[in-house]
Amino acid sequence: MKKPNIWTGFTLVILCFFLLFVVYPLFLIMYQSVVDPETHALTFDYFTKFFGRKFYWSTLVNSFKVTICATLLAAIIGLPMAYVLRSFKIPYSKYVNILIVISYLSPPFIGAYAWIQLLGRNGFITQLINSLFGIQFGGIYGFAGIVLVFSLQSFPLIYMYVSGALKNLDSSLNEAAESLGCNAFQRVTQIILPLVMPSLLAGSLLVFMRVFSDFGTPMLIGEGFKTFPVLIYTQFMGEVSTDDHFAAALCVIVVVITLFLFFLQRMVAKRYSYAMTALKPMQPVQAKGSQKFFAYLFVFGVAFIAMLPQLTVIFTSFLETVGGAVYTGKFSLMNYENTLFSKDNISIFNTYAFGLCAIGIVVVLGILISYLTARKPSLLTNILDTLTMFPYIIPGSVLGIALLSGFNSGVLVLSGTALIIIISLTIRRMPYTIRSSTAIISQISPSVEEAAISLGASEFKSFRKIMVPMMLPGVLAGAIMSWITLISELSSSIILYTSSTSTLTVAIYAEVIRSNFGNAAAYSTILTLTSIVSLLIFFRLTHNEDVSV
Amino acid sequence: MSVSIDIDNVIKKYEDTTVINGLSLRIHPGEFFTLLGPSGCGKTTLLRMIIGFNSIEGGTIKVDNKVINNIPVNKRNMGMVFQNYAIFPHMSVFDNVAFGLKQRQVPAAEIEKSVVEILDVVKIGHLKDRMPTQLSGGQQQRVALARAIVIHPQVLLMDEPLSNLDAKLRVEMRNAIKNIQQQVGITTVYVTHDQEEALAVSDRIAVMNDGVIQQVGSPQYIYQRPANRFVSTFIGLSNIFKAVVRKDGAQHILSFGKYQVPMQTLDAAAVTKYAESCGAADIPVTVAVRPEEFTVHMDGEGLDAVVNYSVFLGISTHYFLTMTDGQEVEVITPSDVGRIIPNNTAVKLRVEAERINVFTEDGMQSLIIQTEDINGRRIGGEDA
Repeated sequence: MKKPNIWTGFTLVILCFFLLFVVYPLFLIMYQSVVDPETHALTFDYFTKFFGRKFYWSTLVNSFKVTICATLLAAIIGLPMAYVLRSFKIPYSKYVNILIVISYLSPPFIGAYAWIQLLGRNGFITQLINSLFGIQFGGIYGFAGIVLVFSLQSFPLIYMYVSGALKNLDSSLNEAAESLGCNAFQRVTQIILPLVMPSLLAGSLLVFMRVFSDFGTPMLIGEGFKTFPVLIYTQFMGEVSTDDHFAAALCVIVVVITLFLFFLQRMVAKRYSYAMTALKPMQPVQAKGSQKFFAYLFVFGVAFIAMLPQLTVIFTSFLETVGGAVYTGKFSLMNYENTLFSKDNISIFNTYAFGLCAIGIVVVLGILISYLTARKPSLLTNILDTLTMFPYIIPGSVLGIALLSGFNSGVLVLSGTALIIIISLTIRRMPYTIRSSTAIISQISPSVEEAAISLGASEFKSFRKIMVPMMLPGVLAGAIMSWITLISELSSSIILYTSSTSTLTVAIYAEVIRSNFGNAAAYSTILTLTSIVSLLIFFRLTHNEDVSV
Repeated sequence: MSVSIDIDNVIKKYEDTTVINGLSLRIHPGEFFTLLGPSGCGKTTLLRMIIGFNSIEGGTIKVDNKVINNIPVNKRNMGMVFQNYAIFPHMSVFDNVAFGLKQRQVPAAEIEKSVVEILDVVKIGHLKDRMPTQLSGGQQQRVALARAIVIHPQVLLMDEPLSNLDAKLRVEMRNAIKNIQQQVGITTVYVTHDQEEALAVSDRIAVMNDGVIQQVGSPQYIYQRPANRFVSTFIGLSNIFKAVVRKDGAQHILSFGKYQVPMQTLDAAAVTKYAESCGAADIPVTVAVRPEEFTVHMDGEGLDAVVNYSVFLGISTHYFLTMTDGQEVEVITPSDVGRIIPNNTAVKLRVEAERINVFTEDGMQSLIIQTEDINGRRIGGEDA
């Protein structure tokens, strides 16, 4: 019965793509981490080197400290934010929701750089405080700064997860509890909290994984406080004493940790999940008295602080500077003249071009892969399923390093090309697109396709004429979200770029490192505006204010 | 021209479990044939083997005397109506119905004509340009039906097409389906678990359980002369009793202890054969009595029972009784003018000997004289 057909062909081609660009480079990294470059003998020196010296292993401890604190804070902000917005009528809550999503979609390192502008050594707020109170506050660098940026950048994810769960919570559950004698406080602790707990945990673990592998933020605001991703970057890209094999060993360590977290998340999600669909969702009620005051204060306060980095960036982009770093206090369009309208604005073009190319590939492959794995189960498609989910747990910097090591020399040299950046963007975004496409397919009854086949369409024709058009609206909506994430990608691009393939995020990062804050602000504003416009298109197309990423 | 379907000894296996093991059926040209059985009995599996979504692990299926085992689905020329209708949500009613014709490269003008025609047959001509989301369940059902028959399939297959509709619409649609089927005259295989639906629409019914055909026959015959205990309890309601059959000269006496019923309908040959395997003078049997096959009396002979409660339903009155041995019995009587028997009244129940069914003790085989064989052929009739 099972004959090789068109689907087997597709599966094999896609499988080859992933073997070449995911499996091979990662194996190379694993190989390098345990092999001596001179003698080619098996060695565990790189791992003993890491765990032997405090200078190295302390970065791992630092990473855990930062990540745990930031995740907890994100939950502490995100959870009540979701609850308050779902249970009370808050004016402009729709816009607050959009602002929260925007603050989440901008790259974390822009938040870091914006907070340096505000609370750094010469930050606006630092200067204000110091002159008001006559103290010498040195700015929030190191641990506090990283945690601040990460918690503010991550709470929206918790907010979105919990808010989604609350939406599925039927108000009759609350009413039943009330009729059984629960007061408002007990209802929150005994009914609502346990029911949103699975989403809270899932969101938290996702935050944990993202924060743990982010490198831009600690790089900019960490100063002496070094985290693990920073160590990887400096070992691989640093100006002095780089050691590819040691960096490879570090990559292996971080992959092991994220792998562990991934399975932990799976286990938790499987164990604690409730099937809920609300016939009658919770209706926000009018808050009264002090309740109203605190609810408004909390919601608008958090939204304001979350948006503060964006506002700072947009504001400073219109300030005149001397040498990019010192503000003269006058408004001007100078920064845009130097970036957007300069002859050398390749990074803007690259961002759009790379992003669009990657999205195109992601959409086509995503539809095909999710269709193959969901509707044509076989050993091959099972392998494909596992393989394509793999990049989900590979931090961007590791993928960048792996691709660079794999295609730096030999038969296929891709380093320095636009292609390698597009490939890395494609691979990084693929798992998300596949997941959402699979969800879309599961909504389509197999009998729709069977109907087409029974009416005389071939399998491929029914895929093309029935499945693809039915999936397309959902996939395209997902593609817009992917696009926003791709244009703000830094961690693999920073490793793979050359001067001709620089992107906006790379340019922003480079300008910040060069202390050219004016140009960085202008670039960031362009990026933010692109994200906002894309997000508005997304809302317009989907008629939906719920964003899943 | 209508075609026959011959299913010969087919086998269906999933991995190592055999779901259907050597099933045979013959479906006549132009017939409305129903596969009826509880969920999980293999009826949908069989239907999907006919259309080709399920592989066939053994035996053959012939349509119009040609083996179709290895013909791909899209070349089989069968129309299928799905449980959830499977309307293409991104296409208008017209495009949905035209889809199959487009696959067959029918010229546009002809497509237009056929579609309009068939939409009139299913009475939704005015909805031609609507999108599926703007249609009610019944209307979607009509689109699905039109889409399946517009391609002039050899065979029409329907998989529980009415199960997603509400009760009233279900009755309306089943009449519509029956009418359209007769109008088009196409050989139809219909799958359902709803016995009333099966009785209402079918020319013949195959009752299935555990992948095995229990009985094939006309709706009336299956109801009145079930082949075994399963059929008698699955189709309609039957009160089941243990009793014995005794031979009294040439006559058979069915004995429920004190209450004796002379039987004219027992198949002497079958009883003799069964009696030999039992080896006793009192042949143990299982008796199935439908609620309407009882008469209720205040005295005289009969089974002793006490009325627990009654339900007055206008046309008929249902009595729920308990017998002396504790067994519960349901009885339906026409609502006569006069008083309903009060609760806790002791009554005598008599059976209508010519209507009741008698099986071997294990309930596997009927001992009644058969006028149709197990495959629904009239015994001694023209169709044999």
